[in-house]
Parts: sequence; structure tokens; C-alpha cells
Amino acid sequence: MIELRSVTKVFPGGARAVDNVSLQIHQGEFCVLLGPSGCGKTTTLKMINRLVPLTAGEIHVGDRDIRSLRVTDLRRRIGYAIQEVGLFPHMTVAQNIAIVPRLLGWPAARRRARAHDLLELLGLTPADDYLRRYPAELSGGQRQRVGVARALGADPAILLMDEPFGAIDPITRERLQDEFLRIQNEIRKTVVFVTHDIHEAIKLGDRVALMRDGRLVQHAPPAQLLSQPADDFVRGFVGTDRTLKSLRLTAVRDVMGASPARARIGDTLVAAREAMDKLGKTVLPVADDEDTFVGWISRTVATGSGLVGARVIPYLVLGSPGMPLNEALALMLESATGQLAIVDDERRLVGLVTFETLFERVRRPPEPPSASEVQP
Amino acid sequence: MRRNLILVVLLLGLASVTAWVTHIGRVGFFMMAPPEKLLAALREHVEIVLVAEAIAIAVGIPLGLLLSRRSFSRGAPILSAITSVGQTVPTLALVGVFSIMLGLGLRSAIVALAVYTVLPIVRNTYAGLTSVDARVREAARGMGMSPAQTLWRVEFPLAVPLIMAGIRTSTVLNVGSAAVAGMIGAGGLGEIIMTGVSLRLVEMILQGAAPTAALAILLDRLLETIGTRATPRGLRLALRRELAER
Repeated sequence: MIELRSVTKVFPGGARAVDNVSLQIHQGEFCVLLGPSGCGKTTTLKMINRLVPLTAGEIHVGDRDIRSLRVTDLRRRIGYAIQEVGLFPHMTVAQNIAIVPRLLGWPAARRRARAHDLLELLGLTPADDYLRRYPAELSGGQRQRVGVARALGADPAILLMDEPFGAIDPITRERLQDEFLRIQNEIRKTVVFVTHDIHEAIKLGDRVALMRDGRLVQHAPPAQLLSQPADDFVRGFVGTDRTLKSLRLTAVRDVMGASPARARIGDTLVAAREAMDKLGKTVLPVADDEDTFVGWISRTVATGSGLVGARVIPYLVLGSPGMPLNEALALMLESATGQLAIVDDERRLVGLVTFETLFERVRRPPEPPSASEVQP
Repeated sequence: MRRNLILVVLLLGLASVTAWVTHIGRVGFFMMAPPEKLLAALREHVEIVLVAEAIAIAVGIPLGLLLSRRSFSRGAPILSAITSVGQTVPTLALVGVFSIMLGLGLRSAIVALAVYTVLPIVRNTYAGLTSVDARVREAARGMGMSPAQTLWRVEFPLAVPLIMAGIRTSTVLNVGSAAVAGMIGAGGLGEIIMTGVSLRLVEMILQGAAPTAALAILLDRLLETIGTRATPRGLRLALRRELAER
């Protein structure tokens, strides 16, 4: 979909901002350009829509050399989102979103309908309320959303995003990232996204292109970037807590294993002790007759005779299969038993996450495809 | 509100001064300008100002626009030099020079005034267009606006407040400078002032000066209102918000 071939940019004065970068971005892929400031990531992005002219090399967008198109035509086909200040303050939200549609000559009714739909897609509802507002009447997070809606205005196949969530508070940013992932799952655009934030890159990218001093250092799925850094620079950039970061890339369902052994509330304590001995465990999850998870039974409380039901340790936290492992870890630390029961929507026990599970995952990093299954 | 009150008091004061010196009719041998002559002079004055200002706007905005384009960026330092020096040249000298070049009368007065008062308009148009946030401009280009579309749909509307401020400054300057035009026989309130100066009659100087000042104040206020109205609503909200956050 987008192909950069030996792209080089030398600015007047001799600064080599981008140095022989080759990069392929597939249709529907979310590619993050990551790196410290001044590494050439923004310049690379801007060369794709010709805001910055190439010094050498070629860029192809959908099989066509970008230089073979009229520059305004090229840009109208590519969505462009920058930090919130890029909104036009003298135009309403509706006018801002409809800029490219208007340039393309869409009739007014269609432009308005499109703006309305995009606001709904981005969760700015009731949309009619927002259409008439001006950027100054919105909060930072809302402006950011309008910026993304504007980039999607004419439904381009490609989106270029230059730190679009850069200028907002961390909580709002996190929420916008989650929402954008949800939207991206729906609309499957080819996205090139610039950021200097490693967390953002790992969370959003299908693949991450890490740049340094104008060169491409490593282009890989986030999991691989974390588990197999190409060199010391990458290792340093992803940080010493890269193991923890990598947990976010795996969903609980990928590690929780088959349906776990369990005790029933109707079992006798003797039977439960025997089961623990046989499995070599000190704790078992307990389910009722409908297989609903009710709590834990441990060797310490399962003494004497009677039924399991009378001695159940109530649970404090529950996990779900779609949850990323970093969240599961946080919950485990709060759990009474140091284990996390994973339940489905009917609270039926479907899996178990233990510290052993996590150790194993950290030692044997996941295959890249599992990354896309994480549900935020 | 309080500002408006001060303004009204000031205007009433100037009006009563004018009425009073007109009312006294004569001082010694000398006749004051009769009411009908004063009104005619006032009308002439307004006409001179309006014509000169119209020329200044018609020339100043395109010139400022041209200088703000990248291909003319080398002209910008020359412009700022001309504006800062130009403003220090006394109006009197400028009017004098043009009266020698074009002869005495209304025409050279108007040309001199237009040349003098075009400078704030050029400067503010230039400043308004070049002060548009670079990221806003880049967003416009990045979405596929042509240079002309960027100018008319984005840069120009955002420059309106500064351009209007330039027109306001220029008009006030114009009202004052037009009084000098009386010196070369262009008519207006300047003629009454000049007569007063040569006869050493303070009353008569006041008879011309007080309405001139009132006119300047009135036009200043009027243009402030027009400037606010002409500013796009969204931009007005943004400026207000910016002020509140400071």
C-alpha cells in the first residue's frame, strides 16, 4: 500500500534528516514510526504526502509514484491528522470535518451527513450538538477527536497521524488510544502514526519502525521489538521494564490453558485434599453445580471433614479472557490466593492465570499474531 | 461600560467647546466661522478622510498580502524599514512635498494622506497573515488545499483582527493628518485651525480642533465595533479563551 524505497532527505544546509530508509506498509496495517525527537520520523511521514519533498529515493502509494500525482490530489486522498492546534479556529466542527469533502466538491447535504456520522463514530454525541460548535468551545480531548474525524473526512484509505494524541493529559490519551483502536478494527485504514512514546507505539502498532538519526533501526511487530531488540539503542529505548511492557501484548485467553481442575461445593473436604495432593497444588478454584465460580479452597482451610462449600474462601477479583496480561498481573497481586480465576460472561470458570503462567510467557515471548487479539 | 461612559463624556465636552466658540460669534475684529461654514468644513474633512482611507485600504491590503507570500519574503525587511521610517516623517513634510509635486489643493492632500496612512495597513496585513500558526497552515496544505485556497479560507479569515486593527490605526491617523491638509488649501477643519493659528486666536483654533478630535474618537470606536463584527465568531471565542487562560 505504501512503499518507501531508499528514501533520503537532506535539508538545505546539509542536515541529513532521513537517510536511506526503506519501508513497506501493507494495506490495513497500523505502522508506528517511533524514535526520539529529531530522529526523522515526522520528516518521513511528511514525505508521504509531499509536505516535505524527497531528496532521493521513491515513495509509492497504492502502486503509484507520489510524484506522478498532482500534489493536491495526492493529499486529498490521504487523511492527515496533527496535534489539536491544527483545527481551524474560525470554522465550526462541521466545517472542519468537511474540508476535504468540500475540496472534492461533495454537495452540502452529503458533507453534513458525513460529518454527523464521523462524530458518532468518534463518540461525540449528540452529533448535531457538536456540528455547530467551534474548536474553542471544546475540551482538548474533544478537539483531538475532531482532528481524527477531520482526517477521516473523505474516507481516505490512508491516514497519516503526527503525534495526534500528544498534547493531552495521560488519562484522556489512554482513552483516545483505546477508542482509536476500536475504530481502526472497524474501518481498517492503512495508518502511519508518528510518536515518541514507546507505550503508545506498543499499544497501537501492528508493526513499529524505530528510527534513530534518520536511519531505520528496527522494523518489527511490538512483541519482537521488546523480546528481540536489534541493538543496544533499541534495548535502551524500549526500556528496562520491557518485560512488563510485553505483557500488555498478550491476552489472557492465549495463556490460560484448558479448563482448570476445580473442586465443587458439594465435594467432601477429604476429596478436595486428595485432589490437591494428586495435582500437586495447594489451592483449587471452587465452582457450584452450574459451574459458576464461587471462590477458592486451600490446604490450610480444608482441614477436618465436611463439605467444601462450608470452607470456601470468597474471591476478591475476577479476570476475563480478553484482558491483557499486565492487567491480569495487577489483579493477581490483589487476589487472596495469588491466582486469578478467569470467567466468562456467565461467571463460569474457563481458565486460571498463575505466576507460573506469567513466568513461562515472559521466557517464551508470544508469536506476533496474538498481539492483535488483545482487547483493550 | 465604563469606557463608553468616559467616551460619551469626552464627546459631550468636545461638542460643548465647539458650540461655545461658535456661539461667541466674534472676538475683537475677527469673526468666528459661522455654524454653516463649520458644518461644511466638517463634511469636507470627513470626505477627505474617507477617500484617503479607501485608497489606503485598496492599496495596503493587497500590498501586505503580496509581501507575506513566500516568494516575496525578501521584501519583508525592506517593508519594515519603510514602515518604521515612514511613520517618523512628519505629515507636514509629506503634505508639503506632494503639494509641490502635484500642486496645491484637494488632490495632493488626498494622495499625501493615503501614502502616509497606508503604512499601518500594510504592516498589519503582513503581520496578520504571517502570524497564522504554522501548524494550522500546514494542516491546510496537508489536507490538499491549494495556496490560493489556504490563503482565502484559512489565512485571511485568521488575519482579520489584525487587519482591522491596522485600518483603525490608519483612520485615526488620517483624521489628525487631514487637518494639516488645510494648509495647502484642501479645505476641511484644518482650514479653520490654520486661520486661527495665523490670527493668533485660540478660540478659532479650538473651533477647528475640537470637532477634529471628536471625529477621531467617534471613528475609532466605530471601527472597533466593525472590527469585532468582522472577526469570525469561532476566532473571537478562541481569542477570548486564550485571554481567560492567561
